Amino acid sequence: MATVTLKSFTGLRQSSTEQTNFVSHVPSSLSLPQRRSSLRVTASRATPKLSNRKLRVAVIGGGPAGGAAAETLAQGGIETILIERKMDNCKPCGGAIPLCMVGEFNLPLDIIDRRVTKMKMISPSNIAVDIGRTLKEHEYIGMVRREVLDAYLRERAEKSGATVINGLFLKMDHPENWDSPYTLHYTEYDGKTGATGTKKTMEVDAVIGADGANSRVAKSIDAGDYDYAIAFQERIRIPDEKMTYYEDLAEMYVGDDVSPDFYGWVFPKCDHVAVGTGTVTHKGDIKKFQLATRNRAKDKILGGKIIRVEAHPIPEHPRPRRLSKRVALVGDAAGYVTKCSGEGIYFAAKSGRMCAEAIVEGSQNGKKMIDEGDLRKYLEKWDKTYLPTYRVLDVLQKVFYRSNPAREAFVEMCADEYVQKMTFDSYLYKRVAPGSPLEDIKLAVNTIGSLVRANALRREIEKLSV
Amino acid sequence: MALFSPPVSSSSLQNPYFIPKFSFSLLSTNRFSLLSVTRASSDSGSTSATSATAVEAPEPVEVIIKEAPQSTPAVTKEEITTAKNVAVEGEEMKTTETVIKFQDARWINGTWDLKQFEKDGKTDWDSVIVAEAKRRKWLEENPETTSNDEPVLFDTSIIPWWAWIKRYHLPEAELLNGRAAMIGFFMAYFVDSLTGVGLVDQMGNFFCKTLLFVAVAGVLFIRKNEDVDKLKNLFDETTLYDKQWQAAWKNDDDESLASKK
Repeated sequence: MATVTLKSFTGLRQSSTEQTNFVSHVPSSLSLPQRRSSLRVTASRATPKLSNRKLRVAVIGGGPAGGAAAETLAQGGIETILIERKMDNCKPCGGAIPLCMVGEFNLPLDIIDRRVTKMKMISPSNIAVDIGRTLKEHEYIGMVRREVLDAYLRERAEKSGATVINGLFLKMDHPENWDSPYTLHYTEYDGKTGATGTKKTMEVDAVIGADGANSRVAKSIDAGDYDYAIAFQERIRIPDEKMTYYEDLAEMYVGDDVSPDFYGWVFPKCDHVAVGTGTVTHKGDIKKFQLATRNRAKDKILGGKIIRVEAHPIPEHPRPRRLSKRVALVGDAAGYVTKCSGEGIYFAAKSGRMCAEAIVEGSQNGKKMIDEGDLRKYLEKWDKTYLPTYRVLDVLQKVFYRSNPAREAFVEMCADEYVQKMTFDSYLYKRVAPGSPLEDIKLAVNTIGSLVRANALRREIEKLSV
Repeated sequence: MALFSPPVSSSSLQNPYFIPKFSFSLLSTNRFSLLSVTRASSDSGSTSATSATAVEAPEPVEVIIKEAPQSTPAVTKEEITTAKNVAVEGEEMKTTETVIKFQDARWINGTWDLKQFEKDGKTDWDSVIVAEAKRRKWLEENPETTSNDEPVLFDTSIIPWWAWIKRYHLPEAELLNGRAAMIGFFMAYFVDSLTGVGLVDQMGNFFCKTLLFVAVAGVLFIRKNEDVDKLKNLFDETTLYDKQWQAAWKNDDDESLASKK
């Protein structure tokens, strides 16, 4: 028995693909521990080396996720093609990026139009609380224009060696075998042929779907649907003296009139403000909510002109399937938008980068073919790193955006310095900082107190209406 | 799709008639004094009817929607046309700018003047609570603009904890304790008549202690008939987000065997 075992294990070192797989399923009771530790199968399958070419990967979508993914792939020595349908796309977006993004992605400081260092939270009964006293000198929330940021990331990808194509992805033919290529059908726009463009196909080994909330890549791999919120925003140019108030300040309005499950905002942009609101459950009433938001900010935006109106869907949770064989979704296409704050730019760029890193590693810098296991590593890493953040924000949204009393309690809590420090730390640096246990207990007691008081007042209100 | 337009038009048309002055004047101020629309150049071929309703057309003339799912473009386009109709009619409803804000003699500088709430030399916290509730109710029905000149500064934590307890906790505690006592008495009687085990002996029995625990928990958590459903939904809600995230790993289990190390 032992000799048989030994034979099969020695066979492992030189054997072909099939035997490798088979032996790895044999229960470890047969093997001796020291033998097992000396064999480390580093690839899930002995994927063959690509003899005459580098790995080819297509990134569909040229937003933050696509740009970051393409840059990392190209730097890792992989042949990268980035397909973006509109190079000067002015995306409707809040445009806020956390401080850590500037460092992690080496963004030049002139991309940032404004540095928001103060925020005002306004409750349903107009109690206003100032946040930002705890920020240090160098800390801020960066407001960017999406067309500037997206173009910059794409340019960097191109400089690293990616090919950027202006085209619209149509559909994808799935491969028959585990190592045959994907065939992408797309329409290429090249200025000369005008609006219609020419239909083309391309063969690639792997695809990263970074094409946003209405992802076609997601549809072609049957990724499933997600619940989404509608964010509606109006860009308003206000007189200069009113603009000085919003120089480095953003506002958040909460209340049933503004949104039943989200918040209304006034964010300063380069030379105007963006006033908007969003909702998941009452999408039909979005115009009413927008009117209410404008009403709440009326004094401060009086005399302004609406220069643009835009709306876009925001995913509420990830799609049921975020990858399939050698196709992975990143960014909004995967549904990586946090609850409570609705933040998506940083997570899009980070997930693009993480997925690209997994591909680079799995293919050993483009020399080998990859398979689903390599992409799965990206999912594992992502979930491990960020699931706590997503969970915490989900709990916050469930507890504090529930009803008017809950929102009043939320705003009251935000006045507390400890809360501000923790919130900004976790937002700016994307880490759940430990904090001191005593303060945490005090915070818990204060939260419960605020919630109890606000709910008691609501009962009083109900008594009054009866 | 037709379902969506009526709420928008009705909310803006009917309000003036049912809640006479306030929201009506607010709406008209919104329309005419606040915003004028300029024609911004459209890039993605949206159906912008560059209307002849010159400066007074309040509602935006174009909506740039990012390939939103089927229903939304229809919704917003319909709402635009509805809003335009409303705008045309709205011109006739123009009034002067009378915005009625919350006013109360005791509400000074964005907070309650506690000196005006005194009764027998001590602050009457009950009336402070009632006054704040009235203010919030007013604002819920007539949302107001915030203003930097008159910020609202009131913080409910200035009302001492015992005032809250006296007003809200104690009556409810009395109610719940009463319920628990009645249930407890009849359950003890019932168990005694069935098994012959007296009250003191029941306390030593594990099953009876469990029944007691269930009774107390039931009284605490189920106070109205609707609470049963609410608790069930609450439980589903807490686990839903996690399920949505783990969905990516569920189909994985069958496929992963083939590629396991």
